[in-house]
Amino acid sequence: MINSSIFMHPTTFFIIGAILLPLVKRVHISLQKVILVVVPVLAIIQVNMALPESFGLVNYLGFDLIFGRVDKLTLIFLNIFTIMALIGSIYGLHVNESGQHIAGWLYVAGSLGVTLCGDYLTLFVFWELMAFASTFLIWYRKKKKSIEAGFRYLLVHTAGGLVLLAGIFLRYKNVGMEGMAFEHIAANGVTTADYLIMIGFMLNAAVPPIHAWLPDAYPEATVTGAVFMCAFTTKTAVYVLARGFAGYEVLAIMGAIMTLYGVGYAIVESDARRILAYHIVSQVGYMVCGIGIGTAMAVNGACAHAYAHILYKALLFMGVGAVLEMTGRSRLTELGGLYAKMPWALVFTVIGGIAISGFPLTSGFISKSMIIAAAGEHHQIGIMILLTLAAVGTFLSVGIKLPYFIWFGGKDKSDIECKDAPWNMNLGMLMAAFFCIVLGFKNGIFGYFGYDWLYAMLPNAVDYHPYTSYHLSETFQILGFTGFGFFLLRKYLTPKPYMCLDLDWFYRKGARVFMWLALKPVTAVNNFTDNVWKSIGLAFTMATAKMFSWFDREGIDWVIDGSAKSVVNGGDQIRHIETGKIQQYIGFAVAMIFIVLIAVIFNF
Amino acid sequence: MGQIITYLRNNSSGLKFIFFGFLIFTIVFDVFANRHEPHFWGDSIIGFWAMFGGFGCLVMSVVCKGLYKNWLKKDDNYYDK
Repeated sequence: MINSSIFMHPTTFFIIGAILLPLVKRVHISLQKVILVVVPVLAIIQVNMALPESFGLVNYLGFDLIFGRVDKLTLIFLNIFTIMALIGSIYGLHVNESGQHIAGWLYVAGSLGVTLCGDYLTLFVFWELMAFASTFLIWYRKKKKSIEAGFRYLLVHTAGGLVLLAGIFLRYKNVGMEGMAFEHIAANGVTTADYLIMIGFMLNAAVPPIHAWLPDAYPEATVTGAVFMCAFTTKTAVYVLARGFAGYEVLAIMGAIMTLYGVGYAIVESDARRILAYHIVSQVGYMVCGIGIGTAMAVNGACAHAYAHILYKALLFMGVGAVLEMTGRSRLTELGGLYAKMPWALVFTVIGGIAISGFPLTSGFISKSMIIAAAGEHHQIGIMILLTLAAVGTFLSVGIKLPYFIWFGGKDKSDIECKDAPWNMNLGMLMAAFFCIVLGFKNGIFGYFGYDWLYAMLPNAVDYHPYTSYHLSETFQILGFTGFGFFLLRKYLTPKPYMCLDLDWFYRKGARVFMWLALKPVTAVNNFTDNVWKSIGLAFTMATAKMFSWFDREGIDWVIDGSAKSVVNGGDQIRHIETGKIQQYIGFAVAMIFIVLIAVIFNF
Repeated sequence: MGQIITYLRNNSSGLKFIFFGFLIFTIVFDVFANRHEPHFWGDSIIGFWAMFGGFGCLVMSVVCKGLYKNWLKKDDNYYDK
């Protein structure tokens, strides 16, 4: 039974929009652009105005599927996801290929579906839609490297999806129907099933050691595709972890490790988009850590940071994507001196860079600090120090290194022919930059878009004031002296044109071992058995066949012919015996009894 | 916008001066900052986070670059070989 309220699901807009795009494009290309803006705007209005607490209940094969479950935790993610869909669509307006937009929107639809669903089965369906649709955002780059990276991405996510599905099935077996409701799982009494679900979620959150798909795939995606990808997969995973697994100590520890792991790679990487991809690992680490700490303030911090992070990370991907779009390059070693040719991309990227580094008066300052403060108040000093150290690395790698080596790098002028990006890309960047700055102010614009506005959306009540003099002092010192460190070390930190090993080594080289196994030993064994068959098996078969044919001719035929003859002869003889004379029969019977008697007597 | 950035770049000595002024300011500011209840010993030392930032930056750079140079760095076609 399908309730009609399912059509108020914001996903509906994106799916219908995705179907319309190629159709209206045939009428006129500008109609596609109109739809690209209108649909996300409608979704933003829908999400913020008209969602009831529960809708879209479907009973399917005896399962209660819940497509819409709305509370504060859902709403803050829906809010930022739809805003991001608008920014990403505007940034991609110049792309005429409908397929790219369709993939992007189905990906958004998957993400919104996961955020809204109230049971594991619905979650799984949308989860797979996300993985499937986003793969096309990589493939649409249409380069050999992208195709390969897309296949790896899809395989890893399929594996992760299967782990999740196994967890869901096991949970159904353990708990039954009520276990299918997607709610917080209490940390005591947690079973293998729940851990499998958690691992499935952690794969999408790119928690090491199952993170390598992210820096492998994102840098190979299309320019606009990467902007979508950096916002949705990991943050949807953050949402589901916050929903299901808040307060799990293991997440706090893994999260703290993540922050440093990602930042460490970002310091040495040379590809601009790969630096940013590693930085997603690092920044999502803060959120995973906040969820793991699990206090009201820490979960608030994780959500606020997800909100801020989506905007500044998208801004950074857009800035670097603009450079890639205009110059065809993303390696820092091949760039430099672009400041006069692409100044606006520089300005926007630097805004993203200072926001991610947590400068005062930017979004990073009011969100990241909330998680670090929550760790301090929860007396997890080790974690607090690790998170602060990661903040140092963040400013070093993304705040300074990335813009410096793209736009300056000690070069007076770049010899690359290029100019600033098209207006729609700049508009997308401007929107994200607007949020990055305004979120750093208490009241924002007339009470909207400031951090008070953001804090009011958080799932728990907030008692946190970011602008204390000590927090300011701490931030000034850390940023100032990290900048000083870069100033001294900038020659040493100059990127080199090499790639970096990561844990994808295991499956990339592992696949080669598999191929080698298939090509060498398996083929050798196959050839050997072939030869054995040809020389021995075949001869043996022929000989057996000959033998059977002889046996058939000489044995079976003889027996059958013989028995047929004997039946005829036997019948003839019996005909002669059957005289019809009763005396002969009695005499024959007596003789038979006599013979039997003799046999019995002599035997015993 | 390009001209403003070019101007700033050509007058980077002034920017350097401002930057070093800012570094001194951070330490002075720390003296007067209103400290909350310390979470650990570092919170009560003046200039602790400056040291943390500077040394953190140095240590991370050296460790990461060291790992990179001696182990993680591979040619671009490493996986195609």
